[in-house]
Amino acid sequence: MLFVAPSGGAGTLERQERRFALALFAPAFLLLLITTTAPLVFLAWNSLQKLDMSMPWLSGFAGLDNYTKMGGDPRFWSSLWLTFIYTASTVVLQVVIGLSLALLVLRIPKGQGLLRVAAILPIVLAPVVVGLFWRTLVLSPDVGLVDLVTRTLGLGSHNWLGDPQLALISVIAIHTWQWTPFAFLVLLATLATLPPDVYEAARLDRASAWQRFRFITLPLIRPAVVMVVILRTMTALSAFAAIFAATGGGPGTSTEILNLYAYRTSFTELNIGYGSSLAMVLLAITVFVSWLLFRRRKART
Amino acid sequence: MNRRLPRAVALYAVAGLLVSVWAFPVLWALLTSFKTERDVLAYPPLLVFTPTLANYRDVLWGPASILPNLWSSMVVSVGATVLTMLFAVPAAYALARLRYPGKRASGFYVLATQMLPPVGLIIPYYLVLQRVGGLDTYSGLVAIYLTFSLPFAIWLMVSYFEDLPYEMEEAALLDRAGRLRALWYVILPQVRGGIAVTTVFVFLNAWNEFMFAVVLGGNKVRPVTVAMFNFISVEQTQWARLAAGAMVAMAPVIIVGLLAQRHIVKGLTVGAVKGGGRR
Repeated sequence: MLFVAPSGGAGTLERQERRFALALFAPAFLLLLITTTAPLVFLAWNSLQKLDMSMPWLSGFAGLDNYTKMGGDPRFWSSLWLTFIYTASTVVLQVVIGLSLALLVLRIPKGQGLLRVAAILPIVLAPVVVGLFWRTLVLSPDVGLVDLVTRTLGLGSHNWLGDPQLALISVIAIHTWQWTPFAFLVLLATLATLPPDVYEAARLDRASAWQRFRFITLPLIRPAVVMVVILRTMTALSAFAAIFAATGGGPGTSTEILNLYAYRTSFTELNIGYGSSLAMVLLAITVFVSWLLFRRRKART
Repeated sequence: MNRRLPRAVALYAVAGLLVSVWAFPVLWALLTSFKTERDVLAYPPLLVFTPTLANYRDVLWGPASILPNLWSSMVVSVGATVLTMLFAVPAAYALARLRYPGKRASGFYVLATQMLPPVGLIIPYYLVLQRVGGLDTYSGLVAIYLTFSLPFAIWLMVSYFEDLPYEMEEAALLDRAGRLRALWYVILPQVRGGIAVTTVFVFLNAWNEFMFAVVLGGNKVRPVTVAMFNFISVEQTQWARLAAGAMVAMAPVIIVGLLAQRHIVKGLTVGAVKGGGRR
């Protein structure tokens, strides 16, 4: 109970609180309804339409045609596969690298501040600027930073964004570069709050470093790790600007994750109906994945 | 002791590598922004060169000036931030502190609105704004920016409200101060820090946004993230100007990021640590 009335009419107070709460919450609720839920309904409706801006005279209700069309669309399956690779690899890399670095840095007595400053830089930059930086200064053949290193080491020059395989690796590297600091900072802050006496006890019991990590640290930071995984997965699923700036989804469709495919279909090829249905599939995937992750979090805590 | 020394050296080596990997591309861009286009393409790269401010002059006052774009970004970001905070703070207070029917469901609703991928939002926005003449307008962009900033701000503010002790509200209520007055005079001053951090976050997110800006903007409303492509065309990339433009465009977020560094880390963790513990 938040508040026990000193005398008379607990019911009145409760009603008063309820009215106050609704007055405070209703404006934001209505705004969200108008700005997010109404567009969603419209999107769902459009996904059932034939709506091609380059052939507007053919517009009309199409039922589930847009969805059945996906089955025989190799570009859709490829984008789905790329979404999976991109999301899984960036999230795993971020958590593994971020956690290892946090564990390392925790032991550094001095200079943690400088590290945190460096880590903030990629996070605050606009993803589109990050994409452009990498496309030009870092990954350009011959003059880019990476090519400077590979040329000096005698590994030769590579067209990092022009080769289909290398381009996929490159966009994964870009995303991992930008967002690993997030995992690192969150996990570092979480590790710093762990009680030292547990470790003392474990040390007295002659637990090895691995045992201490596996049986003390990991269970304690599990909620934070799962939260990082959830947040990072959501970001990766809707990644756009950095890939758009670096490769535009290319060469060909080799870095075209579902998000980019839906965008290109709608705004480059102007097939809004099919683009809407692709966006609906991406929404379904997002909901399904977050449901999986949230369920996991509940089960373990 | 002598087993410890190499270990410390290794630790610092890894830390140093880390700093350079994260900071280097940004520092490299900073360096490039002071080079002439010819010096940029020199091999091996020039670490010593005659610095020039010509690129900054070009991107600010030249024919490809990004000043109008900075203005667009400012208007859209401030507009979105003010609206977001006005709606988010009261809603977050209700969600964090008050009892009302459907509270859990409404909290979940706010969370769920964030799941809609941006590409799924932009298609309906484009169609509607096109019909009502809202493309290339500030209000159109502000409206769609609310879709990501409002849920985010509500949840971040909830975590700050939850940190407050209950006694304070009870005392204020026993004084018969009235709920609104208690909220305004007693509770809000206590979460000033949280409001500041949330405001900064919302502003930075709006400033950095790209996808909505590139589709819903135009010649009149063209935020600075979109203007970065001025310096890249099929024929040639204007390296030094791009670097200078990016430095100017990102100056606000870099400065705020470094100044508010501690708060950003706290802001990131509030959700992570707390969210994991409860709910």
